[in-house]
Amino acid sequence: MRYGTYLVPAAIVLTLGSLACKPPKTAEEIKAETQAAFNEGYQAFKDGKARDTNPYVNAKDAKENQHKVTGWYEGWDKAKADKDAADKAAAEKAAAEEAARKAAAEKAAAEEAARKAAEAEKAAAFKRAAEAALKTIHFDFDKSDIKENDRALLQGIADFMKAYPAAKVEIEGHCDERGTNEYNLALGNRRAAAALAYLKTLGVDEARFTTISYGKEKPLCTEAKEACWSQNRRGEFKLK
Amino acid sequence: MPRFFIRTFLCALAALTALALQAQQTEVVLSASSSAKLVLGMASPKVSGIEDSQVATEFTAVLKRDLDETGVFAVLQERLPADGAPVKAWKEAGAQWLLNVRLTRGAAGDLQLEASAIDTAAEKAVFTKPYKADRMVPLRRMAHALADDLVARLTGERGVASSRVVFVRQTAPGVKELFQIDRDGANLVQLTRHGSLTLSPTVASDGRLAYVTYKGGAPEIWGQRRRDGAHEKLYPATGSGVMVSSPAWSPDGRRLAFVQGDRRGNSDIMVLDLDTGRARRLTDGNGINTEPSWNPNGTQIAFTSDREGGPQVFLMQDDGSNLRRLTSEGLYNASPAWSPNGAMIAYVSRFEGKFDLFIYKLGEGKAYQITTGVSTSESPAWSPDERRLVFTSNRFGSMQIFTTDLSGRQVVRMTELAGCQSPKWTRAR
Repeated sequence: MRYGTYLVPAAIVLTLGSLACKPPKTAEEIKAETQAAFNEGYQAFKDGKARDTNPYVNAKDAKENQHKVTGWYEGWDKAKADKDAADKAAAEKAAAEEAARKAAAEKAAAEEAARKAAEAEKAAAFKRAAEAALKTIHFDFDKSDIKENDRALLQGIADFMKAYPAAKVEIEGHCDERGTNEYNLALGNRRAAAALAYLKTLGVDEARFTTISYGKEKPLCTEAKEACWSQNRRGEFKLK
Repeated sequence: MPRFFIRTFLCALAALTALALQAQQTEVVLSASSSAKLVLGMASPKVSGIEDSQVATEFTAVLKRDLDETGVFAVLQERLPADGAPVKAWKEAGAQWLLNVRLTRGAAGDLQLEASAIDTAAEKAVFTKPYKADRMVPLRRMAHALADDLVARLTGERGVASSRVVFVRQTAPGVKELFQIDRDGANLVQLTRHGSLTLSPTVASDGRLAYVTYKGGAPEIWGQRRRDGAHEKLYPATGSGVMVSSPAWSPDGRRLAFVQGDRRGNSDIMVLDLDTGRARRLTDGNGINTEPSWNPNGTQIAFTSDREGGPQVFLMQDDGSNLRRLTSEGLYNASPAWSPNGAMIAYVSRFEGKFDLFIYKLGEGKAYQITTGVSTSESPAWSPDERRLVFTSNRFGSMQIFTTDLSGRQVVRMTELAGCQSPKWTRAR
């Protein structure tokens, strides 16, 4: 009796209330509605009835404040036009640069070829001069004194060294077969040193020469007679 | 011998042929005629498991030649008793010792050699020794070992039949390499392949090599820091361009004397300490100083110097002090080689355009001429037992290697290779 006083009206209210409310949409229904809305828009697009008004501008603004519409498009067009112009300018510039580079490369290649030709000519001239100047000098037995008639040859070498300041030369000392191997190595060193000292007196920087001795190890002629020995007692000059 | 004749005919030089024949005759006659030698009879070897002909060429002939060249044995050649003859027969034939040899090759190819020598007068054994070798050892090496032991039994010092000679030989124009050959001229081995001028070998007492090579353009000293080690650059440590030559190991093998030339034309003796890498100059930049040769205890150095005019042999302490001139006669004395026991110095002297070997006896203060001839003899080096010298000579045309006893009468050609120089004789390789 005491409980029925509250429970019965409450049960009535809940029952009527639930009958009065709409049930919530299910996921299926939401999906179907979305699809229908899309299909509608798609159909309109296909039929050429696509929306041509700016949805963000209401009808009144579209009539009275047109800038709200046109400004939006104009800005867009200007940006596009600016971009197009910039692209075109960049393309033109790149093309011009490419052309310039090509021209420069061609010019450089031509210059390189010319320089190479000049260099080859110079090298050939250098080689000819070296061949003409770097003559072999000769010595007496167990001696390292520069002979009278070799002085002109050494002067020629000095002139060559002055004409070509980049030239470097190795002076080789050689001996005939008489005497011990080791003593002749020392004697060949002394002969190279004698030639070096003479060239120094002619005013050539001695740092441009290296000296080496081959003693009697590299004879030009191997017969045991004076005609052969005198050829072997020599100082040779080789470009380094 | 036929090869020799073909060669001489190719030469087509009558004078050369006559000279060569004369020299060959001299060798044979003089080697058999020395009375101070012990006459040794060799009974035919008793052989099993080996071809007789192989034993004859690779053992008996090698042993005979080894003993003949010792200078203390003369092998009985004539009126030999028959096989199995009693000791008395050998005594009557003139043999003081009779050598009996038994050679056996086992199933695995191993070699056994039993050698015994009998004193024919007392009829008792003076030498007995068995040898064993695996199959890789050639017969000739066993012959060398036996010859060395027989010399040791007779003289107290081992012979040198097992020793070797290191030398320089031209392999192509401008290319010289180091080679090594057995003391009897067999077994040629190439030691370097630098493909450039390679000169002046020196062999340490433990067999390590040092030499000069031009492989980098300028000469450098190369060699072995360890026994049987790789060949590496020893000097200069960095860079190059200095004119180095003539290295010589000190007797203890820890220092290397060598020669460094400067750009004023002087050449000086230097000593490189292999442990520290420091090089010290011993001579004073006065002319040419070269060809250093150590005395046996490493306290003095003999060398060639032209400080007083022509080249002469000088001595100094190993710190450069106490310098004195050794040779007094002649205008060109060079290439000193201090003997292994220290009492003699061999050198070459030039007279009338050719060079001959001399020996300076330090005890007597006198020099003795060893070789005489119309040809040149150069680069003397001592045998390890001090009984002979090895040297180069052009007596048969090109420069070849010879050995001579100290009287100069028993000259023997070691090789038939042309273009040889700078021989060094060693037991250690």
